[in-house]
Amino acid sequence: MNVTLAPLLAIFGLITLGTAAPAAAPPLLVFGAASLTESLQDIGRTFEAKTAQKVDFSFGASSDLARQVEAGAPADVFFSADTAKMDALEKGGLVRKSDRREFLSNALVVVVPKASTAAIASARDLVALPRIALADPTAVPVGIYTKKWLTAEGVWDALAPKIVPTLDVRAALAAVAGGDIPAGIVYRTDAATSKDVRVAFTVTNGPTITYSVAPLTGSKHLPAAAAFVAFVDSREGRVVFERRGFIVRP
Amino acid sequence: MTAEDFSILALTVRVAVLSTLLILPVGVACGWGLARWRGPGRTLVETLLSLPLVLPPTAVGLLLLEALRRTGAVGRLLDRAGVEILFTWKAVVLAAAVMSFPFLVRLSRTAFEEIDPRLLSMARSLGSSPTAAFRRVALPLAWRGVLAGTLLAFSRALGEFGATILVAGSIPGRTETLALAIFRRTHIGQDTSAMRLVAVTVVLAFGAVWTTEILTRRRGRRTSV
Repeated sequence: MNVTLAPLLAIFGLITLGTAAPAAAPPLLVFGAASLTESLQDIGRTFEAKTAQKVDFSFGASSDLARQVEAGAPADVFFSADTAKMDALEKGGLVRKSDRREFLSNALVVVVPKASTAAIASARDLVALPRIALADPTAVPVGIYTKKWLTAEGVWDALAPKIVPTLDVRAALAAVAGGDIPAGIVYRTDAATSKDVRVAFTVTNGPTITYSVAPLTGSKHLPAAAAFVAFVDSREGRVVFERRGFIVRP
Repeated sequence: MTAEDFSILALTVRVAVLSTLLILPVGVACGWGLARWRGPGRTLVETLLSLPLVLPPTAVGLLLLEALRRTGAVGRLLDRAGVEILFTWKAVVLAAAVMSFPFLVRLSRTAFEEIDPRLLSMARSLGSSPTAAFRRVALPLAWRGVLAGTLLAFSRALGEFGATILVAGSIPGRTETLALAIFRRTHIGQDTSAMRLVAVTVVLAFGAVWTTEILTRRRGRRTSV
């Protein structure tokens, strides 16, 4: 009896040890679009210094993060690169309409490896490239924005077979930065984070890009989550986004 | 190695240890049961238990995800009880446990099958209860195989990726194990720091396999004497 119980007790002991909450306020978990990585980390550091509330981040494709939230991931805040993912969460009761803040925008750019001499003057010029890295255009916001732009330009059908879909925008950037793929379409702010790529073309007639941020109703730390969202949208937060090249709407 | 690397390593080892402890009693019991049971459904059960070994880990991950999600069969009950598993470290343990379970079962079954059944009958006829016969005869004779199975399951748990990323995501500091961190760092272009973690996994894997080899070999020599 004792022999069989001993390992079980050991397991429960270890598990309860692992779940025992630390004395300080537990860190917030913020799910953020990959393009927000540096900005949110900067803002998170300032927020931590001001409030003593620690913030952890998980960055990835907004589509993947939204899917995780829907499945029950214990996130407190969601910052999506589009409004569609937030709409879906709102419909599921995971986000309140009145809590959403949509002040952030961005621009699409075509990046090529630093050493590349490719000249791109229009969407049509992309057709000459053998392959193009793009976050999955069926799900990831930046891919969907890009597909809308290329469809409006009338070149999507010609380009679709050349697209190398990646998990998120940073993976597309990395594929181009590594020189493995001759071009990619990312946000202007992503291009600015890499020394190994060159912006070959800036999209001026693309669809409107709108980010959306809100605390999640399932959060166990709603006041802190709401405070973080408010801070992100504060003068101090907005300055960080501006400095990183985002378009901040008044 | 950075502080982040260390915490990833610590999380990985902790998760693998927990998952191995979790499956140990059940896995050994299953191995023992399968070794002794001669019923008609044996092959079916054996095949079912081995499925995680041959299925793509992502397939197992998706099945777990569907079962545990808020709207899933098990998820609804867990939600009501206030238990969070998905996208927490518990999900990492679960994925590792499910994926490594067949290793433990198969190796301990083989070890139990190698025991001369007459020894067990003898123990029973001398008055031992079935549990006592298992504990005092079967386990001491089969421990080498059980241990090899345990260490193999542990090694498998250390490297689990496919099922883990689906049920636990790759949340830095919370669910991100070595395997997941290598993937995430590579896919955002941080190959150098990913390579550092690869070095860590090589050392870790080497240690696990080395230990298995040493422990099983020494025992092998003793039995042959």
